[in-house]
Amino acid sequence: MAEMKEAVAGDEIIVCRDVHKWYGSYHALRGITTAIKRAEVVVIFGPSGSGKSTFIRTINRLEEHQRGQIIVDGIELINDIRNIDAIRRDVGMVFQSFNLFPHLTVLSNITLAPIKVRRMPEAEAQQIAVDLLERVGIPEQLDKYPAQLSGGQQQRVAIARALAMQPNIMLFDEPTSALDPEMIKEVLDVMQELAESGMTMLVVSHEMGFAREVADRMMMFDEGVIVEQGPPEQIFEDPQSDRTKLFLSQIL
Amino acid sequence: MAAKFETDFGQVLPPPRSQQGVTGWVRANLLSTWYNGVLTVMSAAVLGAALWVGVRWLIFDSDWTVIGTLGGQLVIGQYNIESACPGQNCFWRPQVSLLLVTALLGMAWRVAGGGLTKRIAIGVAVAVSAFALLPYSMERMGMDVRLLLLANLLVLGVGWAIGRYTPLGTARWATVSAVGVFVVIVLLLRGVPGIPGLEPVSVIYWGGLMLNLLLAVAGITLSLPIGVALALGRRSRLPVVKVLCITFIEIFRGVPLITLLLMSQVLVPLAFPEDFPQNSLFRAAVVITLFSSAYMAENIRGGLQALDPGQAEAARALGLPGWQTMFLISLPQAIRNVIPAIVGQFISLFKDTSLVYIIGVLDVVEFGRAFIQGNTEYLASAKELYIFLALVFWVFTYGMSYVSRRIEQHLGVGER
Repeated sequence: MAEMKEAVAGDEIIVCRDVHKWYGSYHALRGITTAIKRAEVVVIFGPSGSGKSTFIRTINRLEEHQRGQIIVDGIELINDIRNIDAIRRDVGMVFQSFNLFPHLTVLSNITLAPIKVRRMPEAEAQQIAVDLLERVGIPEQLDKYPAQLSGGQQQRVAIARALAMQPNIMLFDEPTSALDPEMIKEVLDVMQELAESGMTMLVVSHEMGFAREVADRMMMFDEGVIVEQGPPEQIFEDPQSDRTKLFLSQIL
Repeated sequence: MAAKFETDFGQVLPPPRSQQGVTGWVRANLLSTWYNGVLTVMSAAVLGAALWVGVRWLIFDSDWTVIGTLGGQLVIGQYNIESACPGQNCFWRPQVSLLLVTALLGMAWRVAGGGLTKRIAIGVAVAVSAFALLPYSMERMGMDVRLLLLANLLVLGVGWAIGRYTPLGTARWATVSAVGVFVVIVLLLRGVPGIPGLEPVSVIYWGGLMLNLLLAVAGITLSLPIGVALALGRRSRLPVVKVLCITFIEIFRGVPLITLLLMSQVLVPLAFPEDFPQNSLFRAAVVITLFSSAYMAENIRGGLQALDPGQAEAARALGLPGWQTMFLISLPQAIRNVIPAIVGQFISLFKDTSLVYIIGVLDVVEFGRAFIQGNTEYLASAKELYIFLALVFWVFTYGMSYVSRRIEQHLGVGER
């Protein structure tokens, strides 16, 4: 593994250099170059089809990039399956539609990967699950099945499931878009607590209140490129690009 | 009037009377429109007439002696006739096989901790031992036969006790025991050369319901895993595996089972030297299993295709390798979603076991048919015989259907 280690600046946990991605002949990512620091919280926004979800999905290789370089925690994402599995163990992901496993209880949803992938003893995994459910605010739902929970509770279980692998990076792909308005806050609160605890987070979201409060940096995506990025104050008060101005005026 | 609406506002009220009770139901479902009323009257007339004819025949004209005459032969066919096992009576071998099954059921009852398994175990043991009380003469049905039937009750308890008081009382050991019992039963029925009392009985004498059940159990337990393997192969990215699986599935699905059975008897032996030991029944069992597997593969593939791709994505994102994603996440959900289709295939397989008559063995249907053809005094009893056989098949298939519904409820299919 040592030869895979790339020389990157000490605190940069994700490095992307000129990342391109095509779906057939459609050019979805058109040269993404950026670096994300340890414990940084980045909120990615932009119109639909702009490549923002595709981008965070390339970081744990749910989508394969075809040109450029992605280095996560010192490991370059190449086709070697061992690299990919190593990175996936280190990068948690939360989906728009939760994607909890409906045939398993909440407890088994959370303990499955630690037991099977990390080879953790069952009792230890269960203790971690109990602690995590406490942390996301639903300690009493251990033995229920996902369908018996509300959307907000399901998404919080999904966050707990990802955290159970003790990742260094968390990816959120529109985590509140499928939720009823009154459940959005309970999920955002969990995410805010996570951000404050020092987790490196990439969040695709249009929750601008959350972004303003929690994000260290915001990235505006459009047509497969990063149109503009900067701290929230700058994006909201003084956007440089016309496209950013137009988009913000449409959603705020 | 306005005041009335105000008092009802926000209160929980019972539904209007016209939608409740027998009159409400009749009005809503049978007489809601004039043509509905006409249909109701006409259906009632047809049903009534059919019932009248049926019940009159059942009470006054039907003659069920043929069932009594055939008796245990419906269950074991010609297994214990003189030419099958010369110089001895082999009836005890199927009987002991039955005892082994009952013991297994007892063990399963204990392992499953009651519920449905308990009811099935007790139901089977009681039904089987009740046959000991049939009003046959002692010459026709000896004390030994009756005692072996009654022993099922005892053995049920023994099986339960094995599950309760020995380390074998786990799901894993119960599964191992089930496979073991099947192998022992086949050995027992087939016989082992050189062991006194266990002289081989040629498979051409195997028959009756015993044969249908043996073929069905072998086919059901093997066609599911083979079907899963074929379904995965068909979705494989390796072109050779994929093409092989598609070819296999399309050939076995595209040819009638009877044709396959005939080919297994005529073509397969050509591939082996003339003095190679041949077993026509084994070939038939293989054909039935593979035929069913082809359908099973397509059922399971359908279940896999219906899955939300987000499920596998979530598993991969957690770092689960591909094969664990398949066996822990995708397959359990896919199989659960297609339980109705899978059980439909099991039921179909069980009924199709009757087709082995084509290779010259006497399954329960063919045994009955052959008996009536050979004993013309019973020609008029064909009706009763076939009704009885239909009922026997129905009891088994309905049992399978009932069990599958209970499993679906247990797994919460359609709810989560």
